Amino acid sequence: MPASPWWRIGWRNLGRNSRRTVLTATGLAVGYWSVVVITGMADGLVADMVRTATGILSGQVQAHAPEYLPDRTLYETIGGAEGTDVPALLHAVEAEPGVLGAAPRVYAGGLVSSGATTVGVLLLGVDPAREDSVSRLAAALVEGRLPTPGARELLIGRELARQLDVAPGGELVVVAPAADGSLGNDLFRVSGLYATGIAELDAGTAVGPLAAIQELLALAPGRVHEIAIRIGDPWAAPGMADSLTRRLSAAGAGPIAVRPWTTFRPELVDYANLSSGSMWIVVLIVFAMAVFGVANTLLMTTFERRREFALLLALGATPGGIVRAVLAEAVALGVISILLGVAITVPVLVWWHHDPIDLSRLFGDFTMAGALVRPVLRTDYPLSMCFYAAGALLLTALLAALYPAYRATRVPPADTLAGR
Amino acid sequence: MSDSPAAAVRTDAVWKIFEHDGIAVEAVRGVTMSVAPGEFVVLAGPSGSGKTTLLNLFGGLTRPTRGRVWIAEQEISDISERRLAQIRLERLGFVFQAYNLLPVLTARENAEFSLLLRGTPEAERRQRVTALFERIGIAGLEDRRPGKLSGGQQQRVAVARAVVGEPALVLADEPTANLDSASSDALLEVMVQLNQELGTTFVFATHDTRLMERAKRLIHLVDGAVASDTRR
Ligand SMILES: Nc1ncnc2c1ncn2[C@@H]1O[C@H](COP(=O)(O)OP(=O)(O)O)[C@@H](O)[C@H]1O
Ligand SMILES: [Mg+2]
Repeated sequence: MPASPWWRIGWRNLGRNSRRTVLTATGLAVGYWSVVVITGMADGLVADMVRTATGILSGQVQAHAPEYLPDRTLYETIGGAEGTDVPALLHAVEAEPGVLGAAPRVYAGGLVSSGATTVGVLLLGVDPAREDSVSRLAAALVEGRLPTPGARELLIGRELARQLDVAPGGELVVVAPAADGSLGNDLFRVSGLYATGIAELDAGTAVGPLAAIQELLALAPGRVHEIAIRIGDPWAAPGMADSLTRRLSAAGAGPIAVRPWTTFRPELVDYANLSSGSMWIVVLIVFAMAVFGVANTLLMTTFERRREFALLLALGATPGGIVRAVLAEAVALGVISILLGVAITVPVLVWWHHDPIDLSRLFGDFTMAGALVRPVLRTDYPLSMCFYAAGALLLTALLAALYPAYRATRVPPADTLAGR
Repeated sequence: MSDSPAAAVRTDAVWKIFEHDGIAVEAVRGVTMSVAPGEFVVLAGPSGSGKTTLLNLFGGLTRPTRGRVWIAEQEISDISERRLAQIRLERLGFVFQAYNLLPVLTARENAEFSLLLRGTPEAERRQRVTALFERIGIAGLEDRRPGKLSGGQQQRVAVARAVVGEPALVLADEPTANLDSASSDALLEVMVQLNQELGTTFVFATHDTRLMERAKRLIHLVDGAVASDTRR
């Protein structure tokens, strides 16, 4: 190939004022850095928030009978009225790679009474041994202890305890419509109190051992409403729900609906979208600034070299060749900036992923979208943004070079060479 | 002979008038002339007499206000910029007073530049530049950047670039003006030799008397018009 001289000229021109080149490339690299690192932080923050919000109780993936939601009808247990082999189902769920824990649950509306006061609550039956692998209810215990498996004991929110005026050790009468059409009615003892900071949990929920609640509701041990599932990466939830649906149908669990948090906690999705939307505004601002920086540099350099462009035109170069030389310089600048940007970005991403910035000493914990968040900026690896930002940077450099390139072709050769 | 149809460059009553703040400057005033292939022509005259402007008209770097210009019998007065660029690339060589070379290219890359734009294969480019550098006494400097060459060496590289494509005409505007007398003499020798051995046609603009002495044809310009045209 008769090598085109334009790339060579553009590339070497970049080395002529190395200080300016380094400054501009550093500016672009810092732009790249900030876009990618800020995105990584935002992703990390959102992931953390999702993890926290779903980790308190709901889990990131849930399996139900297909008709159970949205009404949470008492009869719609997994496997229908016959129920299912719960241990086998849990076993099948946990066999899925990426699943960190799975716990069975039953739900029912009921009334709890301390004699003086009666309050309507959501009764939640959990397997105390398994619940810990999915939710952080146990960690929210502030007084007393967790219910003993099989015993008629309840863990209630501290606010509910205040309304009922009970303390751990106190007794509550629990009344709930049962699956056999009767009215379940039992005496439970308060084993402990929890406080999550979330009003509906703290004031409106009572948690008991699965077997005791099933008995109250006249549900056989094989009948549960929900398998709550914890996974590592919240963004993997939709894919996980799909593959669990396939796996559980194949395992003969009968009709079952597996849903990711993105379906049963849509408000968290809105929040995540808001966050990534504002990221794009940051990207836009950073690169708009970069356009002016690069354009300014290239305008200066092309102005300084107008004699050379005049010479090239005099020698018979076409304006297209001149444009290519300037664009080549911009592309070379862009590539150098990307390499520099990646070089300063990756270590910081790795560092802040493994050793996140902890701002809790400054701010304390705070609640966001109904979830308790620790202000720990653990950056995620925003892989797609790494590529988008690199593409945007290259495009930026090219866009910024268009006007200087055009100017370079408009140099009048005779006058310029005469120094006019 | 100067009206031979195969003239390297020919003009017919060519004028160039510059408008400057409403004042018209008649830089070239009705010049009719012709340069035959193989000639070694010097345009002499005081500063401001129109030498550079006339060379620029020859080279298609300036459009005439009136009159016509032909390069190798191709009229260039009113053709498109694109065509003009192509004619400069294929028919003309330029040597300027200064800023002749691209600083980021080596001597060889500068010299072969027009060949590169014409798409001449690498082997041929190499061979031609090597032979020329040998001929004009700068062999061994091929890989140096202009910054590492003396003024005289730089001008020789510029001459090499101008003649490497075997143009119909080489236009040289004050090529020795920035050189000491020894370098001027050496450069002049190179061009005389190229003219004699390869038959390259040269048109110079200069007020260097040594260059005038070597001219086979000396044209004096006064106020943009030809005052005398003598052959030796
Ligand atoms: N681009 C221009 N604009 C205005 N005046 C010009 C321009 N180029 C040349 N001139 C004028 O034309 C005259 C001839 O200039 P030039 O051809 O450069 O002369 P020389 O090369 O003989 O010194 C001078 O008066 C000069 O000022
Ligand atoms: Mg002049």
